[in-house]
Amino acid sequence: MRRLVLAAAALALGMAPRLANAQQQEKKKPPVSMDDMAGMHHDSAHISMPIPMPAGMPMIPGLVGLTPSVTEFLPGNGTDPGKLPAARPTRIVQLRNRDTLDLTAGLVRRTVNGRTFVMYAFNGEVPGPLIRVPQNATITVRFHNRIDLESTVHWHGVRLDNRNDGVPGLTQVAVTPGGDFVYTVHFPDAGIYWYHPHVREDVEQALGLFGNIIVDAPETDYYSPANSEHTLVLDDLLVNGDTLIPFGKEGPDFALMGRVGNVLLVNGESGYTLRARRGEVVRFFLTNVSNSRTWNVSFGGAPIKVIASDVSRFEREERVASVVLAPAERYVVEVKFDRPGRYALVNSIQAINHYRGEFEPQADTLGVVTVTNEPARPDYSRQFATLRAHPAVSKEIERYRPYFDKPPDKQLTLTVRTTGLPLATVQFMTIDTAYFAPVEWVDGMPDMNWLSTDKQVRWILRDDATGKENMDIDWHVARGSVVKLRIFNDPMSFHPMQHPIHLHGQRMLVVSRDGVPMRNLSWKDTALIPVGSTVDLLIDASNPGDWMLHCHIAEHLGAGMMMAVHVDGARAGDQR
Amino acid sequence: MRIVALIALSAVPLLVAAGPYDIALFATPKAPSAHGSARLVYAASPFGVAVTADGRAQYDIQVTAAELPEASSLGAFKAYVAWAATPDLSTWVRLGTIRNGTSIVGHVDLNKFLLVITAEADSAPPRHAGPTVLHGTSPSGWLQSFLNHPMFRGITG
Ligand SMILES: [Cu+2]
Repeated sequence: MRRLVLAAAALALGMAPRLANAQQQEKKKPPVSMDDMAGMHHDSAHISMPIPMPAGMPMIPGLVGLTPSVTEFLPGNGTDPGKLPAARPTRIVQLRNRDTLDLTAGLVRRTVNGRTFVMYAFNGEVPGPLIRVPQNATITVRFHNRIDLESTVHWHGVRLDNRNDGVPGLTQVAVTPGGDFVYTVHFPDAGIYWYHPHVREDVEQALGLFGNIIVDAPETDYYSPANSEHTLVLDDLLVNGDTLIPFGKEGPDFALMGRVGNVLLVNGESGYTLRARRGEVVRFFLTNVSNSRTWNVSFGGAPIKVIASDVSRFEREERVASVVLAPAERYVVEVKFDRPGRYALVNSIQAINHYRGEFEPQADTLGVVTVTNEPARPDYSRQFATLRAHPAVSKEIERYRPYFDKPPDKQLTLTVRTTGLPLATVQFMTIDTAYFAPVEWVDGMPDMNWLSTDKQVRWILRDDATGKENMDIDWHVARGSVVKLRIFNDPMSFHPMQHPIHLHGQRMLVVSRDGVPMRNLSWKDTALIPVGSTVDLLIDASNPGDWMLHCHIAEHLGAGMMMAVHVDGARAGDQR
Repeated sequence: MRIVALIALSAVPLLVAAGPYDIALFATPKAPSAHGSARLVYAASPFGVAVTADGRAQYDIQVTAAELPEASSLGAFKAYVAWAATPDLSTWVRLGTIRNGTSIVGHVDLNKFLLVITAEADSAPPRHAGPTVLHGTSPSGWLQSFLNHPMFRGITG
């Protein structure tokens, strides 16, 4: 009731100023192309659906009635979902060296939270098949693109042969609808990885094209013992009633903050359930596949040990209160459920209410672990209580330690440039500059965010040495070199935001953050760079080829935030 | 009235121009020539940022102070102690002792807080009792309420 009144008031107030805005913009702006008039459409043929706002927050009156300057896109072109196969849960596909897998991206009927949508899936499963392979295996994946967009498969975090990396324009030609591509994927590192398209991630990944790979080390005690293990794929979906909020056909909308969903999903579903026995130690493999959301997950107070991250274990296990995952990051944790009862799996964050200028705690229950009274066998209490060191990890990192304090070889500044955003957005962003949170955990301004597209927002990686930006940067590093990359996320930009920076095909260490050395290292492929922070990365440039370095917020990538790093040296065949 | 508000808003970025981690410290009549600044750095964590289970950032604080007089010159005091206090002053967390130069104290995990440096009779007093010599506000304390801004009443441009 109250929201209705607010919306009505907003509409009434919004009308006149909107016209005034348009006139002022016309006056102030230099001559522009039609594309630059982005965000100014009032055409009902474009997306006209209002965006769901957080409770108690009206849209800014000056934005009411505006739509993003993109043609709306939903998959299937109006296909009757009843004619599509229902999405199925993930199946585990255990593969051996030299095995072959057929992986088909296709349309499915997917029911989320009681509502049915046309979405995408790999092999009809959401998440896609859980590929389980021994370390050092090489498999063949025959990819079949049966969706209505071009696509590819990128093997995130896997230090494979460059031509199989799945990046259109860099390592392959995008696979057209109906087309096929054969990937040869070699897994040199144990751990948890994932695969997803590298074409319009803001659409394809958001609609269900993602899956995990677990690479098993030969050592049986690679992880400390657990009674069971499960993957937790964290995702969010943005829906408005019975419909998905459409995507931009020509390019991403939600370009400022990325699309932050309002339905939180574990393994593609809301309401995750797991049964465990009393005292059970469960190993969870967590992956954040959401477009933009950074998660902070805990298990109802059950004790958590963090064991591993993207490309390796940590130097030593560590006790943590929760697990923080930026987009594309993975963590392996073990959790012990000591007492019978129900443990809520919760994402807990401090949202910022930009209208009130206040923090607001938000806790979303993702599911429940039900613990029975039957005791877990074997009893791993003692092993769980011990925080193991992983000397093999430390020993390997030792070779890189002499490089930790060297001056940076390369420096990037992260920033943003905007043009032609709605006047009310510009006004708000201009005055709401007193504080930018290092991490925005949730979209506090979905109206402004929705109305921003890649035509108005250009996210930037800037090479400090040359001033070049994004794909104009042309870094060549020698194969076998150790590259210290310093990344600064400039807080003095129009809309600073955290960026999870991903480097393909190599591994890297986060050696320091804001001048403070990190104490417990693991090899990473994605590193979160909070607003205002300076993060030093040490890249083990061992894998030759042309590799992307980009922000893994799908819409930031879609709005330009990417570059290529060329690791020069002998090609595969003699690699490693 | 509106002009005053605009000046206040535009003054804010000047004070915190360096970003979301920087705190300007202000002197008090107790030690008028004391000055300094503080910087928030994320506490050690295996993750990209250090937060509590409910999502509050966990920071250590690097306090750089200069021209603090001998604590004993202000009375029966032996040390300077840094505190984080909630804006309503209901909760005070002792962070550690401060000297001229840079001291690292922590952790603090309050969303918004005041950073207060007091002279105390003890380096680890159970509660703050002595006079304040320097104080500042966490960058998050600058968050503004826009509910009454003309923009949200439909008055733009
Ligand atoms: Cu980004």
